[in-house]
Amino acid sequence: MDLSMYFFDVIIFIGIFGILALSLNLEYGFTGLVNFGKVAFFLVGAYVFAVMARFGIPLVLCFLGGALLAAALGLLVSLPALRLRLDYLAIATLALGEILRIVVKAEHWIAGGVWGTPVPAAISWVGASNQALALGDAALVYFCLFLSFIFLQLLTNSPYGRVIRAIREDEIAAEALGKDRLKYKAQVFMLGSALAGLAGGLYAQHLRFISPDMFMPMVTFWVWTMIILGGPANTRGALLGALVVEAFIRGIRIAKDFVHLPVDPYNLQYMLLGLAVILVLMYRPQGLLKESGVRTKAKEVALARAKGSGSS
Amino acid sequence: MIINWGQVLFNSAVTGSLYFIATVGLTSTYGLSRFPNVAHAEFVTLGAFLGYLVTQQLGWDYPVGIAVALLGSGLVGLVSYRAVFQPLARRGATMIHLAIASIGLGLVLRHIMGQIWGWAPLSFRVTWASFDIGPVRVTGLWLWIILAALVLAGVMHFMLTQTKLGKAIRATSFNPDLALASGINISRVTLTTWFMGAALAGVAGLFKGAMAKIDPLLGWEILLPAFAVTILGGVGSFYGAIVAAYIIGFTENIGVVFLANLGISTEYRMAIAFIILILTLIFRPSGLARSFGGS
Repeated sequence: MDLSMYFFDVIIFIGIFGILALSLNLEYGFTGLVNFGKVAFFLVGAYVFAVMARFGIPLVLCFLGGALLAAALGLLVSLPALRLRLDYLAIATLALGEILRIVVKAEHWIAGGVWGTPVPAAISWVGASNQALALGDAALVYFCLFLSFIFLQLLTNSPYGRVIRAIREDEIAAEALGKDRLKYKAQVFMLGSALAGLAGGLYAQHLRFISPDMFMPMVTFWVWTMIILGGPANTRGALLGALVVEAFIRGIRIAKDFVHLPVDPYNLQYMLLGLAVILVLMYRPQGLLKESGVRTKAKEVALARAKGSGSS
Repeated sequence: MIINWGQVLFNSAVTGSLYFIATVGLTSTYGLSRFPNVAHAEFVTLGAFLGYLVTQQLGWDYPVGIAVALLGSGLVGLVSYRAVFQPLARRGATMIHLAIASIGLGLVLRHIMGQIWGWAPLSFRVTWASFDIGPVRVTGLWLWIILAALVLAGVMHFMLTQTKLGKAIRATSFNPDLALASGINISRVTLTTWFMGAALAGVAGLFKGAMAKIDPLLGWEILLPAFAVTILGGVGSFYGAIVAAYIIGFTENIGVVFLANLGISTEYRMAIAFIILILTLIFRPSGLARSFGGS
């Protein structure tokens, strides 16, 4: 792979994991839902995309299909799961991810079972160079990332964002104020799952191949690492986390060509990431970027008025 | 459909015994320190690799291997608690932060083992002849696993009910504040529990490794069933864990027979424990523990 293609690959991975990080950040950072099975929804998006694309269904519909089915699964799971204690929710979602992986591994008719399946190129036109195709891929991924980012910024800075933060801080109190916590949690879970499904579609589309081994629980923990490092409940922090983690991994893989590492770079990257997570939790549990307060029109007005009355 | 019930029951006893030995530590640290320790998988794996090192690479006997797995995994468990979880808990880390830190720790340990022993599967040289008892095919190793679980259950029962340490563990698990007020050295109790739990996980890993092959993901294959046993038995419940381990062992083995007879992929064997896990969480999150009156 020549250098420009490698560069595109890094960029696209950062974008796809950025979307995943945004989705987990909405669930955990803002709402306090502990989803250890993010990869399950990622998997659904990827497999739905692969199956639909094989039937020649238009690209946009394939992405939508993946996101919608992931959201439907999210809703289905959320109904019983969101009543659980946080640690039980974590374990239940972890098990869910493994169950789905076993299903696509065992059922060969879905998408090739354990051997996986090729995904037809979604973006292609006659005579295009590899670079042009990669550029198209990247543009698509970043278009989706940009939309997700804007949407989440608006959502979390709206009254809705205040409610889900309130539920995270004290759900009994939120309930006492008339907020139906299960309804909000289920909505957040659906939305987060839809984003993960979208990311899954982009992932399948970019790699042109999917197999069950690409959806190990490890993927979920990558995303958790990004959130913990970047800073929960900060949309920019989630993206920063995705950038830092992905750049770090690629950096180690590149570094091995230039300096002699005493440790295998594959092992080294995970050791250092694991260590980084522990150290951040110990010394900077709020992550690199602290939680940003809600910015709403009402708050701005109130702040301006407080300032005005203070100075007059 | 012809089912060799003797074989199914025997296999269930082997699977259940393995799950029981692997889960004792997970459920007791979960109950005592109040977070699910994902790095428990790595305590299991470490035992397998240490056993491999001693019995295969150094050529010593299995009892030595078991002792080394016990001590090695136990020490790593102890150090993990002292160096990672205790400081985090003192800084007021939430349950979820502790769980995520345990994932981070698991990554570190797993890849250290991957660095030392590599990622290619290693096998124990087969030294266990199989023989038939009536219609049931057994190997010496399987009998040892069942025996080990029985001995462990007996020793743990004696310890929890008759010794000061056991009573202190139960008291601390039930109510740490009250235990502290009664003059129990909570910190020592917790450290002992982490050591013993990880040590037993190491032994389970050695058994699991000796049955098939070992690689750094060995513990992961046991972690989710172990969580299923923990939840079904009731978090922190030792007696619940015994019953749950054999229930899940039996369900898996009878499940495989049915799957094979119905022409469904036996890949779903793994899913059986996970489904029990999820159903328990939905319908009876406290598990079987209430049926045993606590502890």
